[in-house]
Amino acid sequence: MMADKFSFKKGHRARAGFLIVTYVFLTLLIITMIIPMWKLFVDSVDSTSTGMQLWPKTFSLAAYQVILNNSSMYRPFLVSILTTVGGTVIGLIIITLGAYALMQKEMPGHRIFTRIVLITMMFNGGMIATYLTYKNLGLMNNLMAVILPVCVTAYNTILMRSFFESLPPALFDAASIDGCSPFGTFFRIALPLSKPALASVGLFIAVAMWNDYMHFILYITDPQWQNFQVKIRAMILEETLAVVSSDMNLGTDMLKSATIILVIVPFMFVYPFLQKYFTKGITLGAVKG
Amino acid sequence: MLRKKEKQKFQPAMTFRKCIHKYGAYYLMLIPLLACLIIFCYFPMVGISYAFTDYSPFHKELNFIGLENFQKLFASDGFWQAFKNTLEISTIRLLLVTFGSIGLALLLDEIGCMWFRKLTQTMVYIPHFMSWVVVASIFTIILSPQKGMVNSVIKALGGKPIYFLANRDWWRPWLYIISVWKEMGWGAIIYVSALAGVDMEQHEAATVDGANRIQRVIHVTLPAISGTIMVVFILNLAKILNLFDPVWVLQNSMVIKVSDVIETYVYRMGISSSQYGISTAAGLFKSVVSVIFVIAGNKISQKITGEGVI
Repeated sequence: MMADKFSFKKGHRARAGFLIVTYVFLTLLIITMIIPMWKLFVDSVDSTSTGMQLWPKTFSLAAYQVILNNSSMYRPFLVSILTTVGGTVIGLIIITLGAYALMQKEMPGHRIFTRIVLITMMFNGGMIATYLTYKNLGLMNNLMAVILPVCVTAYNTILMRSFFESLPPALFDAASIDGCSPFGTFFRIALPLSKPALASVGLFIAVAMWNDYMHFILYITDPQWQNFQVKIRAMILEETLAVVSSDMNLGTDMLKSATIILVIVPFMFVYPFLQKYFTKGITLGAVKG
Repeated sequence: MLRKKEKQKFQPAMTFRKCIHKYGAYYLMLIPLLACLIIFCYFPMVGISYAFTDYSPFHKELNFIGLENFQKLFASDGFWQAFKNTLEISTIRLLLVTFGSIGLALLLDEIGCMWFRKLTQTMVYIPHFMSWVVVASIFTIILSPQKGMVNSVIKALGGKPIYFLANRDWWRPWLYIISVWKEMGWGAIIYVSALAGVDMEQHEAATVDGANRIQRVIHVTLPAISGTIMVVFILNLAKILNLFDPVWVLQNSMVIKVSDVIETYVYRMGISSSQYGISTAAGLFKSVVSVIFVIAGNKISQKITGEGVI
């Protein structure tokens, strides 16, 4: 921001020194962020890799082959995809509809409904009360029990409402004067104008759902429906890989590293396209609820 | 403002029929959201009543036993240890991540070179998108005593390898380091955008008055973003006690004493040992503490900035 000219002339020296320190510090920070992942990548392609080695001496994709041939990974992966895509769609539908209704300040009961939503941000039943309630409602091993609590949250609803409120109200008035029904206004005016907000909130939901671990270990006891995170955790913890690795003459570390890299890489490809959306979404979140 | 008031004054009281006619569609839109929240958030709140019963999977009848569960809970050492750990870990974690984020945002704000700034931002946001399971797996390998990178450096410098994640003195520092590593960049986003809104004229005025860089940060920048800091801080207060994921995935039996927090304690008591009454009581206790935190935070915010957040 303070883009003073960079120079070593007298009077600018302290400023220049400060800038150099800042650049060096931030460069080190970038390295710190990247190095753990880079190190795992090196370990995953080089079976002879030692602790301090930061460049692969030999290169082999054998570990990746082993993992991709290991069919026990497929189902958890598909469950994760299913819950993430399904959850994002369901979550967005419920949240946008609710947020749009909450925006109607003159609707009788508006305050009460807003309260009902906001209270869930502050209070919850706690882990066991929630677990027992879901169990008694027959929600165990039901994907809805993991999808809905993660995807439909008060925070995302308020975020969406803040965005709707930032749109010019005249648009909505004009539409309703022209005889557009509330649903018509919602689908023809509000949604098309909220693509950036839909992307941000959708991204938050998708990330939360993809990364969810706790809800799955609590409410899904059927191994058929465990998600990818639970599977990775099991793989890293139990030495299930040891059996495979002994056949293939690959170290367990190499396989573990390759597994983690495989989890991270797909995200890295979509990440650059998403960046502008989450910056927008999180800024929106600072608007008072 | 005035027009709105007038409008309300002259509006005749709405009959139920008219109200449904006018707002029926909006009520329909609300139904899925409210249904979700009622089933998945409010029903469990009713479930808190299990804390006052002897509910157990082994016998079917449910007896009201008053505060017995709480008495048992408060008498157990494990709970108080977990409670103490929760307070310490969550407070230090929140402070470190908050300061880290603000510091990072201030530094980023100094960078004039756009591509370097973008690059830094891109890199520091990445870890946030990884789940705690993945992050814990990464660091378990990096910190491994045999072939881990950190221990290799220590060995090369002539030190003895340390099994960091199973060492009582080292477990917490590493939890903090990993938390800061994961969340600092993400936390900084909001401050970066708040800093972009700081009035440049104030900076110029301060410079003319002879304020140096540090003074300007303290007297111009920080007051300008204090509102944002407060909002974020209080929103985080509401969830700092939710430590399940980070602690659960990094915890092991060697470090249970320093690492056990209420949520992991509750999980072990409730899910693993089926002691539903006591663990629900522990969860309720946690919720109460967390509500106190939020209310206190809000009060402090009212004192400092003159307005509450909630």
